[in-house]
Amino acid sequence: MADVVFLALSGLIIASAILALEARELIYGAIWLAISLMGVAGVFILLGAEYVAMFQVAVYVGAVVVLIMFTIMLVHRESGRIVDEEGPGRLGRAGAFVAGLVALTVAVATILLTPVSPAAPEFYRVALPELGRLLASSYSIALVILGLLIGATVIGALTLAKVEREGEPDGTVE
Amino acid sequence: MEPLSSYVILTSAMLGIGIYGLVSKRNAIRLLFSVELIVNAANINFIAFARYSNPPILNGWVVVFYSIAAAAMEAAVGLALILVAFRLNGTIDVRKLNRLRG
Repeated sequence: MADVVFLALSGLIIASAILALEARELIYGAIWLAISLMGVAGVFILLGAEYVAMFQVAVYVGAVVVLIMFTIMLVHRESGRIVDEEGPGRLGRAGAFVAGLVALTVAVATILLTPVSPAAPEFYRVALPELGRLLASSYSIALVILGLLIGATVIGALTLAKVEREGEPDGTVE
Repeated sequence: MEPLSSYVILTSAMLGIGIYGLVSKRNAIRLLFSVELIVNAANINFIAFARYSNPPILNGWVVVFYSIAAAAMEAAVGLALILVAFRLNGTIDVRKLNRLRG
């Protein structure tokens, strides 16, 4: 049963990842990316990490993909045409395919040659308080640094994306 | 329950697709797609290895929380940079964004 679900999720993830990169329209590519990330959330649930799956859906599908879609729409509207997606030619595309295939082959060969593949412990129920305790004790410094990083990043992104107009006090002419 | 190696093979495939996209695509937003795929492959690995430890440990979860937050920030800054590049150059083709001045 779990095998069937895992295979279906893997097929969904890989197919929609390829479609995300190869879809002709960028906006459809973003939707395929969202589907692929939902499949990743399904894998998390399969691994017993429902909380992480919820986080994944909320942050990736809810925030990142929507942000990407807004950017695509802004870029489209300003240009008035579809962003052209001219490939690097047949040779470059084939080279990229070979590079990806070699990486995949090496990885799979290494995995299959590794002798021990441990079986999962049977009973597995995560207590969320334990997770909270871990976040507040061992990883508290990292949590604080992450908060500072998020603040700095938001300020940086807003500063970058701000449109500066003439006539504003500190606005420079573009 | 599948063996651990099946998860790692899935993430290797995602890594391969991501590398293909990074090498072959010219649109900056598609490069961002590829990066997101690679980051997600790493996240699945963390969760899978945490699940298959005996006894299961939660440290992998914490790393994935931080990784998802960092990836969201990276997407925000990346998209802001793409917007600025588009405003200045009128294109987001990374092969044409090769001048180091505005």
